[in-house]
Amino acid sequence: MSERTYAGLGDRIPARDLIPSPRHAAAVWRRNALVFSKVWKGALLPQFVDPLFYLMALGFGLGTYVARINGVPYEDFIAPGLIASAAMWSASFETTYNVYMRMNENKLYDAVLATPVEVQDLVAGDLSWSASRAVVYGTSFLVIVTLFGLIGSPWAILIPAFLLLGGLCFSTIGYTFTALIPKIDLYSYFFTLGITPMFLFSGIFFPFDRLPEWVEVVAWMTPLYHMVEITRGLATGPEALSILAHSAWLAVVSLALFYVPVRALRNRLVA
Amino acid sequence: MTAAATTNDGSERAPAVIAVGLRKSYGERVAVDGIDFAVEPGVCFGFLGPNGAGKTTTMKMIYGLASIGGGELAVLGMDAVTERRAIKQRLGVVPQETNLDGELTVRENLLTHARYFEIDAKVAAERAEELLGFSLLSERADERVWALSGGMKRRLLIARALINEPDLVVLDEPTTGLDPQARLAVWRALDRLKRRGVTLIITTHYMEEAERLCDRLVIMDHGKIVTEGKPGDLVLEHVGREVLELKLAEECDAEALIGALDGRLDGHELADEMSSLMLFAPDAEALLAEIDHQRFPHDQALVRRATLEDVFLRLTGRTLRE
Repeated sequence: MSERTYAGLGDRIPARDLIPSPRHAAAVWRRNALVFSKVWKGALLPQFVDPLFYLMALGFGLGTYVARINGVPYEDFIAPGLIASAAMWSASFETTYNVYMRMNENKLYDAVLATPVEVQDLVAGDLSWSASRAVVYGTSFLVIVTLFGLIGSPWAILIPAFLLLGGLCFSTIGYTFTALIPKIDLYSYFFTLGITPMFLFSGIFFPFDRLPEWVEVVAWMTPLYHMVEITRGLATGPEALSILAHSAWLAVVSLALFYVPVRALRNRLVA
Repeated sequence: MTAAATTNDGSERAPAVIAVGLRKSYGERVAVDGIDFAVEPGVCFGFLGPNGAGKTTTMKMIYGLASIGGGELAVLGMDAVTERRAIKQRLGVVPQETNLDGELTVRENLLTHARYFEIDAKVAAERAEELLGFSLLSERADERVWALSGGMKRRLLIARALINEPDLVVLDEPTTGLDPQARLAVWRALDRLKRRGVTLIITTHYMEEAERLCDRLVIMDHGKIVTEGKPGDLVLEHVGREVLELKLAEECDAEALIGALDGRLDGHELADEMSSLMLFAPDAEALLAEIDHQRFPHDQALVRRATLEDVFLRLTGRTLRE
């Protein structure tokens, strides 16, 4: 008999149930990596072709009309942003549909939690895996746009490391949503009202300097804005302080939000 | 509470599980309502009961998938609230719902599970081979799990539960939905585990399974334990030795019949709206002769040995649950 019910955020949890054990989290990471190693060819392609189409349509298509933005060709302007969004899409799909299937359809988490792995290890393992996967997607796209000659600075070699951080932030947000929703239908809201507008309005396709100030203030509250600032900074020659500040935003949000899925899943899976 | 058992070398082994006043509610619904039991090491201990009796919830509290609602629960000498991780390190779990990793092969399921226990990769590989043999799955080792039959999946679940060489294995309805051959294979596997001295806790709806496997068992109903003992003792205590099942003819007065047999019965039960009568007695054959001698009209009559199923139905009733 199934006792599992939608629990929402549920009861408070003690602090000892928050600190993950690295070795158990690593075991969860390796399970996910093993599955990905079997399906990566099929899985990489669609999410990878997607930013390529945007680059073609907007960069090389629209870009022939919009000659330059802030002195750089339009395709050069949007390419770094699309690296950031590739990581975002990867992390968002992984921590929504993929996690949902593992947890609710395949009951995989019931098996894992009956071993010495605890909820916080499971969440940490899943999140670090999802962040790694985001690095794979973002970096693949970085390689492509570099081959197109759209990257102007050798500092771009540092982008993968920052994609890990951004990937972690996007993953934590998606995972939090998954931990709190009662049914799979609600993801359409997550993507239509959250991810897609973020994709369009976080500075990938146009700069903020000629728009009212409040637009950038709103964008500042989204993780993609900070990720785009980092990738564009590194792709064009960075200002260290600015990159540090944006990284701090991503790190703080990831850490602060970690509590929510751990608490929600403890109440949902082992209440 | 029962005291510790004594092993062959004379050393005392603490009970594998001790529950005192254990309870658990989900919202308003009380699933487990203050139960006490102790499982001695090395035995196979059964939990029987209708659906919703609280068996699965009790299992989940033992293996850490449900929090302790109240009372005390010690597993392998450790507290189930504060030492959850350490308990699970030494536990094997066969859940009611098959939750194998469908995206992995049979062997990868075992190796991945081993990593959750921090088992060294070389040791894990050896144990996986051994367990593949144990569960007769060696030839399917590199196939994806979804390609397996129901019986094979069950055997893999059991193999997976043994990857950490557990001291205690909890099996929640391990043979539900299996064909007779597959069930026999599971029983053999459990027999072998018992011989190795592994403590087993099992829930089941099959009474012949419980009689065959369990050294001791409890019957639960409405969150409470209604009886506990050895299967054979429980049959003798609650039912007696033999059963006479009578289909009564319409004109037969059941009350008069029971009255006439007074003193020769261990008990009786009327079922199917008074049309069928179960009589419990030391010698059912003699009882039937007596009934015929006294010319009580009846249709079919069946004499059989009393079973655990009689105990179960006597204690938990014949009405459908849920």
